[in-house]
Amino acid sequence: MEASRSRRYASFAGRTLVRIGLAILGGFGFLLILQNEIQYNIFDAVFLSTFARLLFSGVMNTLFFMGIVIPTGIVIGFVTGWARVSKYKFLSYPATAYVDVIRGIPLIVLVLFAYFFGPFIVPGLFGFTDVGKFFAALALALHTGAYQAEIFRAGFQSVPKGQLEAAVAVGLTRGQAVGYVVMPQMFRLILPALANELASVAKDTSFLSIIGAMELFGNARSGTQIAIYNFGRLDWVFGLWTITALLYLLLTLALSKSLQHVERRYLVPGLGSVSA
Amino acid sequence: MIRAQNIHKYFGALHVLRGINLDVQKGDVLVIIGPSGSGKSTLLRCINMLVPPDEGDVFIDGVKVTSPEIRPEWVREQVGMVFQSYNLFTHLTALQNVTLALRKVKRWDDERANRRGRELLAQVGLAAKEDAYPAQLSGGQQQRIAIARALATDPKAVLFDEPTSALDPEYIKEVLDAMTDLARAGMTMIVVSHEMGFAKGVASRVLFMDHGVVLEEGTPGEVFESPKEERTRSFIGKVLR
Repeated sequence: MEASRSRRYASFAGRTLVRIGLAILGGFGFLLILQNEIQYNIFDAVFLSTFARLLFSGVMNTLFFMGIVIPTGIVIGFVTGWARVSKYKFLSYPATAYVDVIRGIPLIVLVLFAYFFGPFIVPGLFGFTDVGKFFAALALALHTGAYQAEIFRAGFQSVPKGQLEAAVAVGLTRGQAVGYVVMPQMFRLILPALANELASVAKDTSFLSIIGAMELFGNARSGTQIAIYNFGRLDWVFGLWTITALLYLLLTLALSKSLQHVERRYLVPGLGSVSA
Repeated sequence: MIRAQNIHKYFGALHVLRGINLDVQKGDVLVIIGPSGSGKSTLLRCINMLVPPDEGDVFIDGVKVTSPEIRPEWVREQVGMVFQSYNLFTHLTALQNVTLALRKVKRWDDERANRRGRELLAQVGLAAKEDAYPAQLSGGQQQRIAIARALATDPKAVLFDEPTSALDPEYIKEVLDAMTDLARAGMTMIVVSHEMGFAKGVASRVLFMDHGVVLEEGTPGEVFESPKEERTRSFIGKVLR
C-alpha cells in the first residue's frame, strides 16, 4: 500500500511538472507570436539586462510578502473561525464583528489605512526600516484572515456533532477529540476552498504596490515607464506584462499544486475524490 | 454495578428527566423502551457523563461518577457507548477506529493496540475489514465496528442508543447477533431499543419510559405480555407488529 501511494505521488509530481512546463512553453509561444506581429525581440540583450533584475527582485519581494501574509492569514482565519463557532459570546461576537467589518471594506482602502495609520500606533517594529509596509502587509493578512475565518467556520460546522461525541465517548478529552477527530476531517473538507483563497491572496500582494512596495506588479509598472520614457519601446511593454502574467501564473500554480498534494494526503477512500 | 438515583435533567425550560432511578446488576441486560422524546437517550448520556445530570447521582461499581473529583474521561473508559448513527471516525480505518482510545487514552504502543484491535474486530466478525474506511462498509458492518470500538477500553458496561434504528432491515440481524454474543459473554448492557425479539430473548429486565419518568419495569414477559399501565399497553401495541 505504501509503494502504491508513493507511486501515486510520483506520477502526480510528474504530471504537475509537465503542466508547469506546458504553461511556460505556452507563454514563450505567445511571446514568439508577438515577436512576429510587432517585431520585437525578448532575447534582445538590452531588454533582458534592463528588466531581468527588476522582475527577479519583484518575484522575490512578492514571495517575501506571500511568506508573511499567507501563514499569518491562516492563523488569523483559523483562530477567528474557531471563535465564530464558540459557545462563548465574548469570543463569537468580536469574531463576527471582525469578519463583517473587514469584508465590508475594500482591500485597497485597508492597505492604505494601515500604511498611513499603523506607524502612528506602533512606531518602529522588529527593526523594520519601513514600518508602513509591514502594516500594509498585516492589513492584507487581516483581510484574507476574515475570508478564511468563514472557510474554517464552515469546516468546523460541517463535521457532524456525532464525531466529537463519539470521540469523547471512547475516553478522549475534548482537546484530544478536537485534535485527533474533528480537525483532520475539517481540513479535508476546507482544502479546496482554502486553496482558492490562497491563490487570491498570492495575487492580492500586488495591491501592496500602491504603497510603494517593490513587488512584482509594482516593478513591472516601473519597468513600463522605463520602456516608454527611457527607451521609447512600446513593444517591450507587451513582453514585460506577458512575462509578469506568466510569473504570477507560476507562483499560483506552485501554490495550488502543493495544496492539491496536501489534499491527496487527506484523501479518504470512499469519501469523494480530488481533481486530477 | 450501575446505579442511578433521582436523576433530573433540564434543557432550558424543558424538564427531560424527572427523577429516574436505575439499578443494573453485573451481567444484566436492561432494555429501555418508550416513545421518542421520553428521555431515553438523555438517560444513557447521563450515565457516562456525556450529559451530566442536573440533579441526582450515578454510581458505577460503587464509585460516584457524578462527583466533581471524578474525571469524565475515566467514566467513559469504564462505560462504552454505541450510537444510533454509528459515528465511526470517517478519516480512520476500521482498525484505527477501534484502537484510537487505546493509543491516545491508554497510551499503548501501536503494536499492542493493533493486536488488541484485531482481536476485537475478529470478535465482531470483521477481521478482514481492518484496512477499510467507514464509507466503504455497510451500515451493519459499521455498527459492528462501533461495538468493537466501544469494547476497546475493556469497559465494565456498554450503553447502546438505538443501535439498529438507522440500519437497513437486512443488516439488523448481524448487529443484534453481535449484541447477543456480548450479552451471553456476561457483559453488562443498557440498551435503548424497540427490537422486541432481542428484548424478549436477551433482556433480564425491560423498562418503559415516558415523559422523563420510569412508568413501568419488569421482566420482558411482564412488560410485553401483561403491562400494568395503559400507556405501556398502547405503546407496545403500536410498536409490536
